[in-house]
Amino acid sequence: MVEGANPNPIHKAVLGLNGGPTDELVVHLGCQLAKAYAAELVAVHVIEVTWQHELSDEMTDENLAASSVLDLAEGIADKYKVKLSGDLLQAREVAAALVDEAIELGADAIIIGLPYRKRFGGDFAMGTTIPYILQNAPCQVIVLREPVPVGGERRDNSDSLTAGAGLGLR
Amino acid sequence: MSDNKPWLHGRKPGDRRVRIERPHSEFFRYAGPGQLVAREAASEPRTAVGQAIEKVRHTLFGRRLSIHEEMGERLSKKKALAIFSSDAISSSAYATEEILRVLVLAGAGALLLSLPIAIGIALLLGVVSISYRQEIHAYPSGGGDYAVARANLPGIFSLVVAGALLVDYVMTVAVSTSSAVEQVISALPNLVDIRIEIAIVAIVLIMLGNLRGLSESGSIFAIPTYIFAGSTLLIVVIGVFRVVVLGEHAPPPDPLPGAIDPIQGIGFILLIRAFASGSVALTGTEAIANGVPAFKPPEPRNAANTLLVMAVLLGVLFIGITFVADSFGIVPVDEPQVRTVISQVAAKIYGDNTILFYVYQAFTALILFLAANTSYNAFPRLAAILARDGYMPRVFSFRGDRLAFTSGIVILSIAAIALIVAFGGVTTALIPLYAVGVFIAFTIGQAGLVRHWLRERSAGWRKKLGINAFGATLTGVVFVVVLAAKAPTSLLVMVIIPVLIVVMLFIHSQYKASAEHLAMSEDAIIPAPRREERVIVPVPSINRAVVQAVNVARSIAPDIRAVLISDEPEEAALMRERWERQLPEVPLVIVESPYRALVGPMLAYLDVLDRTWPEDKEDPITFVVIPEYVARHWWERILYNQSANRLRSALLGRPHTVVVNVPYRREQDEDEPAPKRG
Repeated sequence: MVEGANPNPIHKAVLGLNGGPTDELVVHLGCQLAKAYAAELVAVHVIEVTWQHELSDEMTDENLAASSVLDLAEGIADKYKVKLSGDLLQAREVAAALVDEAIELGADAIIIGLPYRKRFGGDFAMGTTIPYILQNAPCQVIVLREPVPVGGERRDNSDSLTAGAGLGLR
Repeated sequence: MSDNKPWLHGRKPGDRRVRIERPHSEFFRYAGPGQLVAREAASEPRTAVGQAIEKVRHTLFGRRLSIHEEMGERLSKKKALAIFSSDAISSSAYATEEILRVLVLAGAGALLLSLPIAIGIALLLGVVSISYRQEIHAYPSGGGDYAVARANLPGIFSLVVAGALLVDYVMTVAVSTSSAVEQVISALPNLVDIRIEIAIVAIVLIMLGNLRGLSESGSIFAIPTYIFAGSTLLIVVIGVFRVVVLGEHAPPPDPLPGAIDPIQGIGFILLIRAFASGSVALTGTEAIANGVPAFKPPEPRNAANTLLVMAVLLGVLFIGITFVADSFGIVPVDEPQVRTVISQVAAKIYGDNTILFYVYQAFTALILFLAANTSYNAFPRLAAILARDGYMPRVFSFRGDRLAFTSGIVILSIAAIALIVAFGGVTTALIPLYAVGVFIAFTIGQAGLVRHWLRERSAGWRKKLGINAFGATLTGVVFVVVLAAKAPTSLLVMVIIPVLIVVMLFIHSQYKASAEHLAMSEDAIIPAPRREERVIVPVPSINRAVVQAVNVARSIAPDIRAVLISDEPEEAALMRERWERQLPEVPLVIVESPYRALVGPMLAYLDVLDRTWPEDKEDPITFVVIPEYVARHWWERILYNQSANRLRSALLGRPHTVVVNVPYRREQDEDEPAPKRG
């Protein structure tokens, strides 16, 4: 890709991962862009901490699961030979944390996935996170909509999700 | 709550966030449930000495490669042609000379037969290449003739092929290197006294290049290979033009006094010998079929096409050089100065002592050095396949940091250097051993394919069978001719190959026996062990290392005793007094050793313990817990643990005995307060 063809080239992109089915798509897209622009990627996963806990409480199970989400992203980036670092955060609001982190990192883009929901006949529910990012992020925002599955069935994304085990993680 | 996490403020007061450390992420990443993948950092050495060695390795061989980068190490057709064909293509530099050296003995008239002989060998090359193209498509996973023989013929045939190929790969390195050194000596005669040293340095450099990895070695070797092939093609084109169009040619050479009629009696034998000598051109043809997995996908198609290009190129160069040499009446000259045929042909076309001539000579020498590289790709791969099948030590199947089969590369270098030293680096002395093995492999491989087509009977099998049957017959005949023509030296190969086969069978029987011994039934449910355990702690005195070992021993089993082997009864008595005071719960056994031995009495004590064990009970597991002081510097290692090392060595293989080393590090002094006295 010719950099001059895009008025807003990407040098650093934040990938918002939630451990869901769109993570793999987001990371693949991020890696393809990173290869084209020689950009740096930061995969960010935010653990939402409820008001029943202190923000800095050890959320051991959630942290290990979240860490594995970032590890899987790093594994995909390794195959692309793209530099990707993982950033694990705890916050009250996922969207605000993602935007703030992108600002602090000086990212040019946030890439985030929008999953297809099978329940209630299939839908793309925007929720609150994506609208907040679209409204508040100062950089480019790329919302990657998951393809509509054939026959309403979601494709197998077994590689993209779930926590690993081996370091006491289950 | 954890207060040491960094709080990060957002744009709004409520938007604070906390960054979480991921302690494992430096060394591992999760790859799925219960599965971790080690990062490069996990393989990096931790000690200063290890890091220094790593730096040297990094400088020499490049950074460590992950298996995910293997596809990047796959070869394009251009690189593969350079890597796998340098042996075959380089043989055009000396195959004509080998024919002429024999024919010249039959008289000047016989020299005219060099062209028909070269065409005959080129036809043989064509048949062999077509057969190998079929082999590549039939066995795309590599292994070449070995894989074909293993799949289709009784086991011994695959080992014959393996032995023959291994010998020939070593010969290729030795012959091509010594031949290249001779090219260098032709240009710089003063170097004749250090010809072996030059050959060794060349082999070591090629070895290092290959240890760096396949792709990089391809880049290093591609340029000289293509320059040699291109400039030799130019020689052929100019030479043919001058002979055919301009009508230049030398007058027929005068017959030598007493020359033999080439088509009668002994002359016919010389003719056959000339054919056998020229057939060295075929060595290296099999390399592509052995290394199919090294190609980029689609591997079989790319390999087959590369083989076709190589065969055509070699055929054209070989016939072309022979035609030009024949037309200009060129014969090898040894006195007063060595002038190889190829150098004379180059001098004729490019002009004697011109820059082009010297450049061409330099690249001829270089291509001959690089011809060895074909073996560096084929030998380690074949050794790895043999190791995987249990016929060679498993270490040959392990790949190093750069994805190269390190052991195979190193062994090949050592064997080739040994041959060069043994034969004084003289090519003529090595040639009779060369090209014998490869014809064995050709013949058995083609015969295996005949069986393959008979079994498979896929589309067009009759045609394929016919080609392979013809190839097998032809190469079989040529093998007998080559063996007979180069006898008696060539018969040495027929001794070495059986020896290799015996060694491979021995290794296989060892692996098979150990595998059978270690095998577990897949259906068996493994219960918890019921055998009793006892712990012995050999102690020299009471110190922190000993106390730590005793504490580890206590965690293993309650049946524990410390054993002091002493040749000083008074000191032993003092030790007992102190032991019972400071470690009252652990019984101390003192074994006096008036002959001052340590290991023997300890082993004898363990034997006695075994004998006193009740016969109706299963033998216990004896843990021998050895305290060990960890040296902080490499030179300290000779000061400490010598007795422990001897004891550990003596206990290796003792039945029902487990040796446990308990290392004590000096750093622990700084972390833990010394136990109080009293």
